[in-house]
Amino acid sequence: MTTADTRPSWFEQLIMLSGPDSPGQSPAWLDNARAQARKTLAELPVPNRKQENWRYSAVEGLLKNSFHPTAGYVPDPQALDPESLLLPSFETYRLVFANGHYVPQLSSSERLPAGVTLGNLRTALGSDSKWIAGWFGQAAGHTEHLFTALNTALANDGALLHVDENIEVDRPIEMIYLNPGQDDASLIQPRNLVVLEAGARATLVERFIGSGKARYFNNNLTEIGLREGATLAHYRVQDESRNAWHLSSLYLSQAQQSRYRGTTLAFGGAWARTEYNAHFRHEGAECVLNGLYTAGDRQLTDFHLDVQHSVPACISRERFKGILYGKGRAVFDGRILVDRQAQHTDAHLTNDNLMLTRDAEVDTKPQLEIYADDVKCSHGTTVGQLDPEQVFYLRSRGIAASAAHRMLCLGFANEIIDSIELQPLRDYAIHRLAITLNEAVARG
Amino acid sequence: MLSIKNLQVDIEGKNILQGLDLDVGAGQVHAIMGPNGSGKSTLSHALAGRDGYEVTGGEMLFDGHDLLALDPEQRAHLGIFLGMQYPVELPGVNNMVFMRESLNAIRRARGEEELDAVAFMQRVRDKARLVDLDEKLLKRSVNAGFSGGEKKRNEILQMAMLEPKLAILDETDSGLDIDALRIIAAGVNALRSPERSIILITHYQRLLDYIEPDYVHVIVGGRIVRSGDKELALELEKKGYGWIEEEAAA
Amino acid sequence: MDPNRVRPTQDSVDELIRSGYAHGFVTEIDSDTVPPGLSEDTIRLISQKKNEPAWMLEWRLKAYRHWLTLEEPAWAHVHHPAIDYQAISYYSAPRKKGDGPNSLDEVDPQLLDAYNKLGIPLEEQKALAGVAVDAVFDSVSVATTFRKNLAEAGVIFCAMSEAVREHPELVRKYLGSVVPHTDNYFACLNSAVFTDGTFVYIPRGVTCPMELSTYFRINEAGTGQFERTLIVAEDNSHVSYLEGCTAPMRDENQLHAAVVELVAMEDAKIKYSTVQNWYPGDEQGRGGIYNFVTKRGDCRGDRSHISWTQVETGSAITWKYPSCILRGNDSVGEFYSVAVTRGQQQADTGTKMIHLGRNTRSTIVSKGISAGNGQNTYRGLVRMAQRAENARNHSQCDSLLIGDQCGAHTFPYIEVRNPTAKVEHEATTSKIGEDQLFYCRQRGLSEENAVSMIVNGFCKEVFNQLPMEFAVEAQKLLNITLEGAVG
Repeated sequence: MTTADTRPSWFEQLIMLSGPDSPGQSPAWLDNARAQARKTLAELPVPNRKQENWRYSAVEGLLKNSFHPTAGYVPDPQALDPESLLLPSFETYRLVFANGHYVPQLSSSERLPAGVTLGNLRTALGSDSKWIAGWFGQAAGHTEHLFTALNTALANDGALLHVDENIEVDRPIEMIYLNPGQDDASLIQPRNLVVLEAGARATLVERFIGSGKARYFNNNLTEIGLREGATLAHYRVQDESRNAWHLSSLYLSQAQQSRYRGTTLAFGGAWARTEYNAHFRHEGAECVLNGLYTAGDRQLTDFHLDVQHSVPACISRERFKGILYGKGRAVFDGRILVDRQAQHTDAHLTNDNLMLTRDAEVDTKPQLEIYADDVKCSHGTTVGQLDPEQVFYLRSRGIAASAAHRMLCLGFANEIIDSIELQPLRDYAIHRLAITLNEAVARG
Repeated sequence: MLSIKNLQVDIEGKNILQGLDLDVGAGQVHAIMGPNGSGKSTLSHALAGRDGYEVTGGEMLFDGHDLLALDPEQRAHLGIFLGMQYPVELPGVNNMVFMRESLNAIRRARGEEELDAVAFMQRVRDKARLVDLDEKLLKRSVNAGFSGGEKKRNEILQMAMLEPKLAILDETDSGLDIDALRIIAAGVNALRSPERSIILITHYQRLLDYIEPDYVHVIVGGRIVRSGDKELALELEKKGYGWIEEEAAA
Repeated sequence: MDPNRVRPTQDSVDELIRSGYAHGFVTEIDSDTVPPGLSEDTIRLISQKKNEPAWMLEWRLKAYRHWLTLEEPAWAHVHHPAIDYQAISYYSAPRKKGDGPNSLDEVDPQLLDAYNKLGIPLEEQKALAGVAVDAVFDSVSVATTFRKNLAEAGVIFCAMSEAVREHPELVRKYLGSVVPHTDNYFACLNSAVFTDGTFVYIPRGVTCPMELSTYFRINEAGTGQFERTLIVAEDNSHVSYLEGCTAPMRDENQLHAAVVELVAMEDAKIKYSTVQNWYPGDEQGRGGIYNFVTKRGDCRGDRSHISWTQVETGSAITWKYPSCILRGNDSVGEFYSVAVTRGQQQADTGTKMIHLGRNTRSTIVSKGISAGNGQNTYRGLVRMAQRAENARNHSQCDSLLIGDQCGAHTFPYIEVRNPTAKVEHEATTSKIGEDQLFYCRQRGLSEENAVSMIVNGFCKEVFNQLPMEFAVEAQKLLNITLEGAVG
């Protein structure tokens, strides 16, 4: 049983730590948000399997580590290999963070078009932060979520992007989070804010890169606000260290006719969970979420999608595919909630899982909760293995069994990879998936 | 038999039919042609009484009955049949059961005896032959999983079963290959009689090669702008709708 | 033309209220009803009234002591005021003239009349051909028909209380072997206080010569019904069983907490059908039965087959998940369900398919229909255990919404531990298409008729699973339930 009593002691320390770091230096709105989060943090029960949202994803292993923030750590840019970070032929405006701290030397935002603000939270707080105050904590709200509260209570750096009305950003914006870790218990907490004003258009690529066997907990949170008619294509590549814990919380706030298109590729981490929260409060908005995940030995990958339709005529689409091998585990929980007022909702979700090995596990739980009658809603989920007939067909054409498996897995993943509209990123995805598949097929 | 005067119909507040006049006598076949969006299908749905087709003016009289006062099923009871451009699928509803319910509902409304199972079966078999419909399709759910051509044949089969006084065939030819078109046309021709009127709604002249109309009307902008005999259809085939639209606009 | 035509009109709603429930009458009969309250003494009293052996009483008391340690579950998608378990009377039986088991001639004519009114004649000569009935009235079985014919085939078909006395070796062996008293709150309560129910035993190699059925009737006010059904099918035997349920219209909520256990040995097949029409409460949600039921089948033998079919139209709240434990290799589990909620009804129902054996197969077809303010939830679990080689599941859950004040929810849980297993789940939500209604009306059908036809079409896959006579009944019941739901 887990109650407030069994709260790990590092939590208590963090709650104390999370007071205003230098009183009077941070703006009042941020102090307030942190104070509120501290309160939530102190009161909320620790997640346990009796809670529906944590039914299949044990956090005990995570909590027994004594994590502490990497405050004050200034990474040495020389120690990081900039070349290895970049994707070939991928021209972007770039922010780089190491262990959650902004690294200006590796970032590149020259020649940003007028009307585009790209930078880090900590720097921005020292200057004009008015627009941030209007958005910070709005989409995430006062969610009863322990890890959201943890992020807010200690928020001190992260990525910021703001695009003015009707501006179309000419290149993708890239946010790279390098996580070499520091010791074996770093708590890394980027706090990001992305805002597109009315009619703005942008493409955002976030990449989480863990090095070696570093152990750390990356508890990142991104709030995204899209004003009327804005369009954001948002790619995320999660390739954390195989010893890392990773929790991404995304909160979307969409105005009329705005379009969000999110694609997630999840390869890394020992325990990696992504939560998307999309709550439609304005008519005519559209949210498309695509995802591809793999998990092998000692890996758990978890997606929690919560899409709520509270107004009429919004569209949501979710397509997630997973490949499991070794002792890999996948958890998928996709809820679509349609409120009484949300007539003419069009919401569909699919989740397909491929199990390559005996010891792999999948727990999948799509949910439809519908209170309006004139809607089109469906979900579908499958779990299975490669079709032996297809494997045989390829082998009968002279293709080795291992190559046949790889080809068919790539074919399975193709629907998601194909939806990536950036060629360099698509190439990278195929390359990265191939590495995983080699490992998977070798592992058998 | 059917008299439409100054009919005005709105869909979602948009004025589609803008004062349409049409008289159809017993036994006549009228073809209604026109460019896309001219109001052809609106006319057919308004005649059948579909919700959302708001009649804002004019009148429709059928055998002296004011159609505007009647529900769709009451119009069907009077003998109005609408063969749809996109026949609706009814999953789980057996095609035969559906036809029998339909036929008997109409017979009851007319004070006729219901058809018993044996007589009904006999009649379905006879009529199915008319449109060359595979008997297997009779046992399936209404239109569910039918090909485009099968759906259209199923519509004509229902028309044959129900023996309407006025059949409105809405783009029955769309999406059909030439063989299917011939079969459907033969079915319709077999149902022509001095008591039965037919309104053929079509975009192309092709159908009229097989079902010869007594009159051809052209709708543009929600009105009949020109009427004639089948020569008019041939002229349209040659010259397209452009010239007639220009004339109407002038 | 009226654009709101597909919405219910006031007239049609009024009609719906009037026509909703056909079995709401009360039978005036002298009953032996114990005062409300639950304690060890209540249980001793029940056991004594039923003349039970000591082991049975011990079994009950053990369950009761465990129940005291449990908390009422709160996870279902339903809402109701707290149940006062001390306010329920746990035993009520029509007073008998004499002692000993009744022959049909001795059954109180009032009771026969009550069942006649429900369309279940108990006199064998009037009965539906080929169907044997066990009639349970409040807490006790009042008659079991065709026992002689069945006995000739070796089939035991009797009241549970009689089985406890007459076939203790069988009851002790199987009772609680599928649903142990520790299983859940309501099953545990049932284990302590169950009063009657049906016991069926089909010996090896026997195909039961007739349909078996139990008709449950709650009559007395302030009582709960806690029946217990146990069906055992030995190797290579077959049985088809059907239960029906009704209750009078009352302003109070009455609790029905049943347990059904099925055991299928090698090559045995059990088909279990339910037409549940407990009183659903009135349009404002006053009264109605809380139907909290645990049903589970154990496919113990290889190639065994258990099939659940349910048509749930009644009850204020339904909470039940007829499940299959597919233990034997090549065993098959099926769940076919139609659940209708209207007025203020709530249903949280579905199934669990636990695949343990090799080549096990399961099929789930769930059709939920919500009208009025009804809330309809499908909740299901498909688990493929590690040794469930080549196991297969296919689930299809469709919801139909009629009106904009109701809800339809789908919560499947899928847990796979074997790579050769294959699971497919699909769910859809829709309303009756305006185009479908228009199409039917254009062909001369009334709107009411069109709705009924479309809804029956929607449920067809499930109705097809019911024995013929009951499929017709179920269809009629559905039509009555939905009458006027669309104006």
